[in-house]
Amino acid sequence: MAHVLDLGALEPVPVLSFPAGGRDAAAMAADVRAVAEGDGDAFGRVYAAYGRMVRAILLGRVPRREVDDLTQEVFLTAYTRVRELRDPAAFGGWIAAIARNRATDHLRQSRDHDELPAEVPGGDAIEADTLIVLDAVRRLPQAYRETLLMRLVEGLSGAEIADRTGLSPGSVRVNLHRGMKLLREKLGQ
Amino acid sequence: MTNDERPTTDEYLWDGSGAPDPETARIARLLGGLRTPLPPVPDVTRIARLKPSRSSDRAYRGIRFIAPTLAAAAAIVLMIAATWRATQTPRSWEVERLAGRPQIESTPIAHTARISVGETLVTDAASRARLDVSTIGQVVVDNDTRVRLVDTRRAHHKLALVSGTLHAFITAPPGQFVVDTPSSTVTDLGCVYTLHVDEDGTGLLSVTAGWVAFEYRGRESFVPAGASSRTDPENGPGTPRYDDADEAFRNALDLLDSGDNVKGTFGARAFVLAHARPKDAMTLWHLISRVRESERGEVIDALAARAPMPAGVTREAVMRLDHSALDQWWDSLGLRDATWWRKWKGRYPLDR
Repeated sequence: MAHVLDLGALEPVPVLSFPAGGRDAAAMAADVRAVAEGDGDAFGRVYAAYGRMVRAILLGRVPRREVDDLTQEVFLTAYTRVRELRDPAAFGGWIAAIARNRATDHLRQSRDHDELPAEVPGGDAIEADTLIVLDAVRRLPQAYRETLLMRLVEGLSGAEIADRTGLSPGSVRVNLHRGMKLLREKLGQ
Repeated sequence: MTNDERPTTDEYLWDGSGAPDPETARIARLLGGLRTPLPPVPDVTRIARLKPSRSSDRAYRGIRFIAPTLAAAAAIVLMIAATWRATQTPRSWEVERLAGRPQIESTPIAHTARISVGETLVTDAASRARLDVSTIGQVVVDNDTRVRLVDTRRAHHKLALVSGTLHAFITAPPGQFVVDTPSSTVTDLGCVYTLHVDEDGTGLLSVTAGWVAFEYRGRESFVPAGASSRTDPENGPGTPRYDDADEAFRNALDLLDSGDNVKGTFGARAFVLAHARPKDAMTLWHLISRVRESERGEVIDALAARAPMPAGVTREAVMRLDHSALDQWWDSLGLRDATWWRKWKGRYPLDR
């Protein structure tokens, strides 16, 4: 069903591009097992499937300019340790934990130093309003923060978020709804 | 938000199919503006043969079957371990043979062995080996390589690459893993890289992921993923350059790095300044402090043409190599900011 948005003076909502998902859990588990055997092509597929989830987790914790480097580090860590993962189906939660730990380490390293502001223009034209919204998202509880960033920054659908994270679809719906509600409250303060 | 709008907004939040209320649409538009393509898939070809350590595999298999006993003894074990850790520092790493007959000193490695501080691992034309760098990463030692374990203790691990090639994959915070070569000190900043050193001390560093700092006698290079830097005993680290730069550009940089007395340096500098791409701003930024003062202005102009000087930075400040001005310009390149460097090293990277 097509929807026509009438948002008055607002600019059109950008079309969200959902990554081509559709790979079933068994295929993804097979890819994870293949990565453990050193299959570079499977690593590429796993990266494509989980890369945006990892980026969203990192973006919720570290400055934007660090996110891409840290994303690659997270996947390299996963690549070398994936044989320690007993259940390939748990890959999403496992690499999410790696990402959170890497972000924590990164922030710990930064703690005793005079940092630039967390977000500064890096040559791209990011609106000040965007940084205000991002800052507010970062102050949400983890479950809301990560789910909203996966959905609204990285463009994953609710179903894809559930698939990648291992959360139930119902939990993802709740996180999106409550997260948006809380975010709007914070922005309205 | 009205009750009528909420279900529609929720559907929009779920899969984009609904019509969101204006505030949700505004938030979605703003956050959607942060979306960028995924960075390239990390190159794992260099670490394709790295595996989790055998010791951890063995430990896991054992724990599965004796977990109840271990649980009962856990408190005692932890107390003993805590006491032991307080008084002991691991002084050796596990080495695994990957091919041929690598040796530690003159002892061949049948399958696995340990290398202690002060010992040298030697591979011949047919052998390779893997080192577990404490708990922070792994190093694959290629054939025809000599590498000595210089030090290993908490948050400080050092190898000396006498000659040959190694591939390092390190996950520790910046600065914990260092490799000395005859013409440089290579400090890992959380990354994957390959380091080659010839018998005469010249070398080449190629970074696959993360960053590496390359230092010799106060001259430093910061090398990002996708870039390389040469080094030689006379001049230290060369100017880093991206590997996808034209061969002529890289050759000109090599000539420029070889010193003022080499014929053709002037032409090489002109070529580099004229042919640098926007992404080569990283290279030009390093050049600012490496050329003579009389030549600095044209390097500044070349960099400014590719990465405009940020507000608050003046040409005069850059000309006198003002640290703050150079930092701000570097930060504007969109690479990791200069503050990040300070986390692992307290002084200015260009200090000589």
